Amino acid sequence: MIDLFALALTHGLLVVAALRLLKRDDLDKDPELGPRSSE
Amino acid sequence: MIDLGLFLFVMGLLALGLRRPFLWVLAYLYIDILQPQEIGWRFSAALPLSLIAFCAAFAGWLLADSKRGARFGLRQGLLLVLLAYVTLTTSWAAFPEFAALKFGWVWKALVFAIFLPLTLTTRLRIEAVTLLMVLTAGAIVIDGGIKTATGGGGYGVLYLFVNDNNGMYESSTIATVSIAIIPMILWLARHGTIFPPDWRVRMFAGALIFSCLLIPVGTEARTGLLCIGVLGLLMLRNVKRRAAYVLGAASLVLVALPFLPQSYFQRMDTIEEHDEDKSASTRVAVWQWTMDYAREHPMGGGFDAYRGNTFTYKMPVVTSTGNTTAVQYEKVTDQARAYHSAIFEMLGEQGYPGLALWLWIHALGLWQMERIRRRWKNRTAPGETWQAPLASALQFAQAIYLVGSLFQGIAYQPFVLMLVGLQCGVWTYCKRTDSLKDKPRRGRVPAAGRAKAGGAVTAGARALR
Repeated sequence: MIDLFALALTHGLLVVAALRLLKRDDLDKDPELGPRSSE
Repeated sequence: MIDLGLFLFVMGLLALGLRRPFLWVLAYLYIDILQPQEIGWRFSAALPLSLIAFCAAFAGWLLADSKRGARFGLRQGLLLVLLAYVTLTTSWAAFPEFAALKFGWVWKALVFAIFLPLTLTTRLRIEAVTLLMVLTAGAIVIDGGIKTATGGGGYGVLYLFVNDNNGMYESSTIATVSIAIIPMILWLARHGTIFPPDWRVRMFAGALIFSCLLIPVGTEARTGLLCIGVLGLLMLRNVKRRAAYVLGAASLVLVALPFLPQSYFQRMDTIEEHDEDKSASTRVAVWQWTMDYAREHPMGGGFDAYRGNTFTYKMPVVTSTGNTTAVQYEKVTDQARAYHSAIFEMLGEQGYPGLALWLWIHALGLWQMERIRRRWKNRTAPGETWQAPLASALQFAQAIYLVGSLFQGIAYQPFVLMLVGLQCGVWTYCKRTDSLKDKPRRGRVPAAGRAKAGGAVTAGARALR
């Protein structure tokens, strides 16, 4: 029961995090490094 | 139920990677930390999950990633040299079969530590890896924390998902890691953007830290207690009101003491009386043996060279009859005792060159994080306030690991190598953003005023080198 709770809680948060990451453009393009960079 | 859930989670994560290949990097880290296939994997026990995730992560980076900002740093170079060196020592290993077995997982951990920084080209990716490491280790920590709080702890008793005393599930290792992630949790709770700081994040972070602190209690790992002490001391550097912090920490310890189980005190008592404790006596004997061994084999005996050791030492045996207690010293012969220290593990297995490389990799990490912390600590501009606290958190995590590793043979612990990779990524990222900021400024400021302007906060051309 405790195993299930610990896994469900953390994996639930990991799923939310993964879904949020999908929507974020700055995952692949950093605004700090912006278009200014020519590299 | 748990099987199905974990299976679906991993498959889901791999599927999401099709849209954002970076998620495959996270998937690999997740699998390597938690080892879900060990928890109960009836669906596809034969599926080489870790390998699939590794190939996906690497292929995704190679084919779909822009690689803008990816740099190969000095520490990655050192890790590469270490990888080449351990390959070499494996070829002349004293125990080839055992050496090959250990090499089988060490090379993967080293390769991933070298590869990870190449993918960490944005702030969000750095944060995502930090969050994933904390939450995945957090699963084990929460499990152990609740079990300890409900009375399920004890030396060698605390059951964490798997019936195995390996990797992250080894009691001293998880005790060390759980304390090492506390500074990372604090950073995420203050500077996170995936889960922006609010009352829920703070509450979860608080509960998770509490859980982390319970792990050394639950596992009764003496190293864990030491790590808590180190964390307490390190935190002194960053807190604003030191007196209040010391007072608060002391009262917390006083309040917590009555709640600790008796067996915990008995176990901790053995820290001082190490001559009465077999585990501590063997350590000292193994360390002496390793020093002699290194003198004879300065280039190292390959993985698991400790298997050749055998030594005899005297152990006190206490016998009580009625009111009299007699102490007799008996000879004990031991063989194939593990190193119980990362330093001696490196010295015995990889000789002086291997130990020097390992120490260099870690010393450089502490130094690089210190450089970032000092350079960014007074900055207040938006987007420039998270670097110093993160560098500090990663430095603390590493320092706690290093202290813990003095008493455990965890020189290649994959979680720590991920931490090393993360540090390399942060270092490269900070170096790069800093040099980009310097460029336009230098272009605008006339030569005479350059030194003054550059010296303000960013120290100009003396950027992170």
